[in-house]
Amino acid sequence: MAANMRGLTQFIADIRGARVRELEEKRINKEMANIRKKFKDGNLDGYQKKKYVAKIIFTYILGYKVDVGHMEAVNLISSSKYSEKQIGYLAVTLLMHENSDFLRLVVNSIRKDLDENNEVSNCLALHAIANVGSSEMAEALSEDVHRLLISPTSQTFVKKKAALTLLRLYRKHPTVIPAAEWALRLVSIMDDQDLGVVICVTSLIMALAQDHLDAYAVCYTKAVDRLHRLVIEGEYSATYAYYKVPSPWLQVKLLRLLQYYAPSEDATLRSVLHEVLQTIMNNSAEPSRNVQHNNAQHAVLFEAISLAIHLDASSPLVGTSAVLLARFISSKETNVRYLGLDTMAHLAARADSLEPLKKHQGTIILSLRDKDISVRRRALDLLYSMCDTDNSELIVGELLRYLKVADYALREEMVLKIAILTEKYANSYKWYIDTILQLISAAGDHVGDEVWYRVVQIVTNTEDLQEYAAKVVFEHLKSPSTHESLVKVGGYILGEYGHLIANDTGYSPLEQFQVLHSKSQFCVASTRSLLLSTYIKWVNVFPEIKPQLINIFERYRHVLDAELQQRACEFYSLASRPDDDEVLQNVCEEMPPFPPRVSALIGRLNRKLGDTEDKRTWIHGGKEMNLERHANSRKATLPGSSAPGTATVTGTADAQDVMSSLAGLNLSSSGDQPDSSRVDGSVVAPRVAVGPSVEKWFNKLTYSAEGVLYEDVQIQIGIKSRYQGHLGQLAIYLGNKISVPLTSFTSTIHVNDSEALSATFAKIPPNTLVPRTQSQQLLHVECKKAFSSFPILTVSFLAGAHQSISIRLPISITKFIEGVKLGQADFFERWKVIGGPPREAQAVFPITLDGTGQLDLVRYRQVVSGNHLEILEDVDPNPSNLVAAGVLHTSVDGKVGCLLRLEPNREAKLCRLTVRSTSEDVAAEVLRLIEKLLRLDSS
Amino acid sequence: MIHAVLIFNTSGIPRLTKFYTPLHQSSQTLIQKIFSLISIRPAGLCNFLDAPELEAFLGPKDGSDERWRVVYRNYATLYFVFVVDGAESELGILDLIQVFVEGLDRHFENVCELDLVFHFDEAHHILAEIIQGGLVLETNGDEISNSVKLASKARRNSFASANPLSLGSGPGGPRSGSLQTPLGWLTDRLAGVATR
Repeated sequence: MAANMRGLTQFIADIRGARVRELEEKRINKEMANIRKKFKDGNLDGYQKKKYVAKIIFTYILGYKVDVGHMEAVNLISSSKYSEKQIGYLAVTLLMHENSDFLRLVVNSIRKDLDENNEVSNCLALHAIANVGSSEMAEALSEDVHRLLISPTSQTFVKKKAALTLLRLYRKHPTVIPAAEWALRLVSIMDDQDLGVVICVTSLIMALAQDHLDAYAVCYTKAVDRLHRLVIEGEYSATYAYYKVPSPWLQVKLLRLLQYYAPSEDATLRSVLHEVLQTIMNNSAEPSRNVQHNNAQHAVLFEAISLAIHLDASSPLVGTSAVLLARFISSKETNVRYLGLDTMAHLAARADSLEPLKKHQGTIILSLRDKDISVRRRALDLLYSMCDTDNSELIVGELLRYLKVADYALREEMVLKIAILTEKYANSYKWYIDTILQLISAAGDHVGDEVWYRVVQIVTNTEDLQEYAAKVVFEHLKSPSTHESLVKVGGYILGEYGHLIANDTGYSPLEQFQVLHSKSQFCVASTRSLLLSTYIKWVNVFPEIKPQLINIFERYRHVLDAELQQRACEFYSLASRPDDDEVLQNVCEEMPPFPPRVSALIGRLNRKLGDTEDKRTWIHGGKEMNLERHANSRKATLPGSSAPGTATVTGTADAQDVMSSLAGLNLSSSGDQPDSSRVDGSVVAPRVAVGPSVEKWFNKLTYSAEGVLYEDVQIQIGIKSRYQGHLGQLAIYLGNKISVPLTSFTSTIHVNDSEALSATFAKIPPNTLVPRTQSQQLLHVECKKAFSSFPILTVSFLAGAHQSISIRLPISITKFIEGVKLGQADFFERWKVIGGPPREAQAVFPITLDGTGQLDLVRYRQVVSGNHLEILEDVDPNPSNLVAAGVLHTSVDGKVGCLLRLEPNREAKLCRLTVRSTSEDVAAEVLRLIEKLLRLDSS
Repeated sequence: MIHAVLIFNTSGIPRLTKFYTPLHQSSQTLIQKIFSLISIRPAGLCNFLDAPELEAFLGPKDGSDERWRVVYRNYATLYFVFVVDGAESELGILDLIQVFVEGLDRHFENVCELDLVFHFDEAHHILAEIIQGGLVLETNGDEISNSVKLASKARRNSFASANPLSLGSGPGGPRSGSLQTPLGWLTDRLAGVATR
């Protein structure tokens, strides 16, 4: 289209023709002046505006700053001609950014285009919001965007754009989006037929799920299912294969999404996921000739390895991965070497044992000398992550050696990392001091102040180290050229601890003074003032060199620098006081140990995490560091702690780290890692559907094995169940009663106390329910301990609108009871052994009589035996009384006996129910369950 | 997230620039910086580059070892450069560059550098069908091409209605000028024009 605007073509041709940059600039300035004039004169028609704005865009692309045309671009957006509108939008997205004032002017035009019944305009508007959307736009437009995303009439290409636009708005203004409320609806789109839509929605879900892990938990199943269909079933449209790899982008995203969640407990999901990862790894075993194919395959593979490490760093899959990685880091292809080292660093950051990696230590160290700086960086990161007390001397030594020849861009970071490793994994004080001082003298300018502060802190806090440190630093100072940082360390340490070595030959006060003072003239003012402080400390401990020191103070009293002058004056008068004066002694008291404080070193390496950006799932550094970080981020997400408190979180992380690193240096055991056991945030249970018939169906099922659980105009849910011991199997029948398919069909089970009861689907449920058919899903349940709440089944689906139904499943502890036959004597003996409360639970409650005014004994028997208790005949002399016994099977707590006695009274219309059990919890729970059923009207 | 998509030629002249993050400094110096980082790298090195230097332009990256990463690919006379953060898979971006190039090639039929110069708006429209707001929108070549066609059709219709005398010819196709200098993208045959 640009081609049919002659003026524009001419302009471009002119600029191309410009031989030198000055001519180009001249031509552009001339054009801009012309455009400015035209705009000022006004009266331009749409075509002219479009042409000038296009010229401005072209100028912008060349990298020139443009300051005209914004207003005209805004006008073009509201044009009725698509070609003008398009250029208008292009200009807005290129020339403006989210904080431009001009954007306020376009909000209304954008809204108009969003609401229009024309997809092409919708897309332009969505694209503009996604590029320049601000928090203001989020407030004004997020509803409209959401509508386009979920509307059943939206075309796929609109849905895709709407999903990413919503993501942009969420990032700009998280609070306008009711993320938790929209969770089920948004996740259901992950089942869309169109993979393009799935990719975009997955991006959106990734961002939302990071902040609302629990609300979006159902996306875990969806992601696993989708991977299974892509990787194993090969279920995708051929156009989404990229060089024969099924949509690598989607695979990478899904694999990444799964890393945001703690590994699933669900055995079915785990095994499906395992199969997927295994297949991905097998696929990569056969490298192909095609570069693109290899790239795509590796992209997926590296993410799969990361996920495998995340799931279980000691699984056989990770073993396989380690072998693959070892092959990659010596690959001929640079990209593969780069990513191999990067992923190995992830493994090192999480693995329990570094042994498999240490086998390749030689190769990794060689990679520090790779011809590509990108690879060298990764090797450095990896060595940093895989360092521990065993190989610290080797690795740090290697790093120190490399530091001298390393790229300038790398040095500062290297120094920081070497300092941290030295501190963390020191085997002896001697080694620590030697290495750090060597580091300071080797790296000079790249040593940040944090590094030498830390040395001083550690020496001050470690008494055994002080004498040695003083000697070594003195030796280092003797070399002809020393870096200023070393002079600072030397000044401080000799000032504090110089007297400890003063009696040894070669370290006399005078020698100390001469060596240190000879450096003074090359130093800046701040270092010199530090040296003055050293001298005043020496005045206190080395009376033999006092004259020389006073002489120096006197000279410094006349320097121009205010700080130096002031110190010199104060120190001079302090030193000139009579010898028996105690002021000097008090002033120069030895420094107390530092309180454990934030290690500036690690603080500097770990800056705070972004708020709504995609988070990394691991950081460089050893396993402990990752555990700590994980624990901290857990803490932050727990309710009650201040919501945005990322700053406080880093604070605590650092404080802990100093403690542990100091502990490491005390050479005591550093094995006690912070417990990272998963704190279970209280998951909000879904709201259960209610209604008289729902209640009736449910109650019936609590004492029978099969029946209807729920039914409405669209869907019917029925159940058949079978129990044996502590295990049970439920077949859940889901029937679609309408004539259109129910899509995005999702069923999830919510169990309140997963320690006591587990419920998992035998396989991932299908996501479509064909019209007028029934599908069956098997649910495996296992009773581990006594529990008291029913699991909740949530089904959600799309039938026009999105709907979701939550319903209790009739699974109670009595389902896991097996009846036992007992004679009269046995029964009463056990009854007595168990005894009264607390192992007895009893209730008296009113009952209704049947139509003829009799006790409804048949129903009582039904209820009791329906709860799997064996009714014992001829035990109780009263024929209306009912006696029953059973044993509850649990896999963790073993077997629990349970006895029951029911005494209904026709005259009083009351009933007494007594349950005795070896476990008081079980007695109370069985009583509660059976009483509830008997209290009901017999109707 | 993808923070910038840049195309410049082997002399460092920008042909397409798109930023998804506000810049702290002028785009020209940023492009020069990236060009100076990349152009010295001989072939055979990897396609990824950590670029802490870019913090001055794009702001510091939060988080422990988050860094700006540059993923680039060289096709004949052009460099395709994506600036991304740690949330993107490097190889995935490399594939995306290939998708972008194939998309351009499909639209312009043997795309060359001049197509990007004279049809800069169309190049942007194609990019907009692949990446939106810094995130991958579509990777399927057919879908991309369909969306691009849909938009050009809408444009042509509005053009025709605006100029009844043009007999509906409109731009007549993406390549209406007499400038035909195919670069032979996929064969890496060097045949481009390295002038300004």
